[in-house]
Amino acid sequence: MTKYSQVSGEIGEFSDLPFWKKADSVDLAYVGYGLLIVTLVIVSYILGSFNLLPRDPQDINLQLMLAPPGTAGSLLGTDFMGRDMLSRLIVGIQAYFLPGLLAISMALFFGTGLGVAAGYRGEKLDTGITYFMNLVDSFPRLVLILLVIAAFKPDIYYIMLVVGLTNVPAVASLIKGKIQFLKQKNFIEADIALGVPTSTIILKHILWHNCRSVLIIRATLGMAEAILMETSLSYLGFGVQEPTPSWGNMVQSGANYFMQGKFWPSTAPALAILFTILGFHLLGDGLNNILEGKRNS
Amino acid sequence: MTAVPILKIEDLRTYFHSRSKQAFIRSVDGVSLEVMKGETLGVVGESGSGKSVTALSVLGLIGAGPGVISGKIGLKSDRIQKNLLEGLEDFVKLTTRDGKIMEVSKDVLGWERNAERVMNKVRGKEIAMTFQNPASSLNPYMPVGKQITEAIRLHTSTKTEQEAKERALSWLHRVKIDSPRLRFDHYPYGLSGGMCQRIMIAMALASEPSLLITDEPTTGLDATIQSKIVDLLGELKSELGITTMLISHDISIISQLSDSVAVMYGGTVFEYGPTKEVLSKRGNSKHPYTSALLASIPSAQNITEKRYLQAIEGDVLDTINIPEGCRFYSRCSRVMEKFRERCAGHEPDLRETGSGHKVRCWLYFD
Amino acid sequence: MKLSSIRPIALVLSRELIITLLLLLGVSFVVFVILFASPGDPFSVLLEGQLSTAEARAGVREAMGVSRVWYVQYLSWLAGMLSGNFGTSIRMGLPVLPEVVRVGLNTLILTIGSLIVTLLIAVPIALYSAIRGPNKISWPVTMFSYVISALPVFWLGYIVIYFFTHKLGLFPLAFGFSSGGQKYRWLYQLLPIFVLGVGNGTISEVIRFFRQEIARVMSEDYIRAARAKGALVWRHSFKEGLLIPVTEIIASKMPFILGGAVIVEQVFNWPGMGRMAWQAAQDRDYPVIMGIAILAAVFVRMGSLFQRVIYVAVNPRAFKE
Repeated sequence: MTKYSQVSGEIGEFSDLPFWKKADSVDLAYVGYGLLIVTLVIVSYILGSFNLLPRDPQDINLQLMLAPPGTAGSLLGTDFMGRDMLSRLIVGIQAYFLPGLLAISMALFFGTGLGVAAGYRGEKLDTGITYFMNLVDSFPRLVLILLVIAAFKPDIYYIMLVVGLTNVPAVASLIKGKIQFLKQKNFIEADIALGVPTSTIILKHILWHNCRSVLIIRATLGMAEAILMETSLSYLGFGVQEPTPSWGNMVQSGANYFMQGKFWPSTAPALAILFTILGFHLLGDGLNNILEGKRNS
Repeated sequence: MTAVPILKIEDLRTYFHSRSKQAFIRSVDGVSLEVMKGETLGVVGESGSGKSVTALSVLGLIGAGPGVISGKIGLKSDRIQKNLLEGLEDFVKLTTRDGKIMEVSKDVLGWERNAERVMNKVRGKEIAMTFQNPASSLNPYMPVGKQITEAIRLHTSTKTEQEAKERALSWLHRVKIDSPRLRFDHYPYGLSGGMCQRIMIAMALASEPSLLITDEPTTGLDATIQSKIVDLLGELKSELGITTMLISHDISIISQLSDSVAVMYGGTVFEYGPTKEVLSKRGNSKHPYTSALLASIPSAQNITEKRYLQAIEGDVLDTINIPEGCRFYSRCSRVMEKFRERCAGHEPDLRETGSGHKVRCWLYFD
Repeated sequence: MKLSSIRPIALVLSRELIITLLLLLGVSFVVFVILFASPGDPFSVLLEGQLSTAEARAGVREAMGVSRVWYVQYLSWLAGMLSGNFGTSIRMGLPVLPEVVRVGLNTLILTIGSLIVTLLIAVPIALYSAIRGPNKISWPVTMFSYVISALPVFWLGYIVIYFFTHKLGLFPLAFGFSSGGQKYRWLYQLLPIFVLGVGNGTISEVIRFFRQEIARVMSEDYIRAARAKGALVWRHSFKEGLLIPVTEIIASKMPFILGGAVIVEQVFNWPGMGRMAWQAAQDRDYPVIMGIAILAAVFVRMGSLFQRVIYVAVNPRAFKE
């Protein structure tokens, strides 16, 4: 049974409501969870940088191997060498946090630049961007990264450079699309007619007001991708090396124990990956629905 | 010859719900119509008056909720006799307050399933419909001829592809499509609006329905093509004697092609009767809205004499905020002081003022 | 399809082919730039490998010492590749191209199989969701698809292997392709396809895409007219609502799935080009990794071409574009 009812009295206007009332509660939940994850990541990064950890992540304690969560002193238990899981997970964030930020900033910076140029100057640049985008999409990202690793070295910053660059055309196309949309609505023409200086038009009117939500959303998705890449690569052995923890290599080294029935050393980092990537995805989707999707009145 | 209504709509209500405004859009708010066998009923009204939604409700094509919520649609043809909204009461519960429906509880899924069972035997076979935007109503991925043979094979006794093709070709010829054999294999893309409309008409008639509903057959077409389509519809009408419900906002084609006419406004029928009476300019008992509509048509004389266009004051009724009294009250130029209270406060019923002529106006109530 | 429509199809297709070739050219250039910029001077290695005689190699080294102009290197390398010579693997000593193609076919099986799995899961869910609209189970299903899309595919692989080996006891050995259980070997070969199909991270996106497309097509005018006609709706909506979106997904997700294949091949020890790429990256085996990168790009572009072909074949409007 679906119930439809009408408010008695005055019928109001939807668009007057503040956004938290307008938005679907599901989307708000997504964003809430996503922000929680982002906060945890940032906090963990800071903790990790200053070594403010519950226990030393390298501290091997063979007496206490494979302890379940909740054992004395280890909130999340220990791995197969008795090392505290929680500390290792926190430190694992170091492996992808800054590199991921690098990737996102590169993608956004160059992508925006290219997108604005294409949107403003137009046609030929547009074809170029499309070609570039198709070109970049022709490679499986992981394979391209392996190529870079073979040619250079398995440095996470090189890798994130690749991730960032491969995202540039997508961002550029997004920005260019927005500009075309605005052009169609004559906003830009009006601005020019009013004598607004070009830099203001671009920076303030186009990017800040109209593009900031898409850019933020792209940033969240980009971070999710960066995490996925870093963990996949360190799983394959190309990232941070033992004994330095990275979520990927933690899953890998715990694999043997998994098959013996001792799941935790492999599962704990896998769950960390799961919940973190989920957080960024949900954040992106939730923001997308709230800011971009439901523009209905 | 006793007139038999092929289609009899009684007190139909189709509502939509605006989630953002938390209110009902009362597109069809108590409409009653009859289409007599062999006749053409014209349904005329402005955009938003609910005429298209009425037609869609008849065929069960309303997608958004809550959709059809009350009423009776009686179909009576040679083959079938049925209330198309049969069973609706089991799935809908209405809550009214001060005479206005304020809440609708509808088992949408159940009603859909029920309706599909009923409508499966009706759509195409008994009632066929042509739509307003002919180019976009034809499947762009299918050749035009195949779309017609599909209708033929589904609803008539012709079963083989070859026979169906022959019939389709004869229909194409009948709707004045040039080189039908060539056009048969064409896709809708690239065909003109007028041609698409003819094809839709052919497709609808090819399934030999008892009732044809045409929604805005001329809107969107060039003026010259419009008159050709009107001529075509007139010819088909006299050749085939098909029962038609013709929906349009264009009064001239309504008056040219219909035997009876219903004037709709704000989701209700304001006036109903033989075309000669309702749409004649001579003073017959008429709803103020109808007179205003007729007066607003620019005549050649008006233009040469450079008179002002006679528009109807005010705005079209907002189907969300429906006022208390007569829906036309705020725009009516014939409100008399002694009726003011009634016009403003209560909605009149449809009252018979002559042979088959009904008007919904307080002016004709004593 | 009529004969008269063959000529415009051919025209459009040849245009697509040219675009594909241009893109593959760009691909080769990107690969070249990466190798050229590499400090390890892979080109000497490559060119050495491409030539079979010692004299030729010495000659090249001399020539290279004299003119290391990039475009000369690029063109000679490209020419070598086009004649089928992708160099020789440093580690294995075998010519790269035949080896890479051999394992590439295994990866292709894995990739296409997993795409089918993904579609088999996503499409029914999207269909149900688009037709029934939001109801009690739609939110849990959406949530579930999000979770599945975020979980690391290597871990999923372990779970599946554990489940099959220990719980079901079907395969005596956990890893390793040729385990003793001959009877269930075919089933074991399906596992990586299943794992990659479920765990490639695109399921929630694919569901969302299909739901959007199906809903959009269902609300089209011509579908409404078809319903009014009493026709079978699925027959009318199939092309635009299912066929075209499926090809779009295959084309656009192919690179992502190939990437996932690298990981899954590791977990299951599947003899594909992903595993070979991993090995090559560790060994700095430039010819092999280069060959794999290019072959992967070729696969992707083939997928894209496939999508365009279907689109043109089905869509009469494409002729005029």
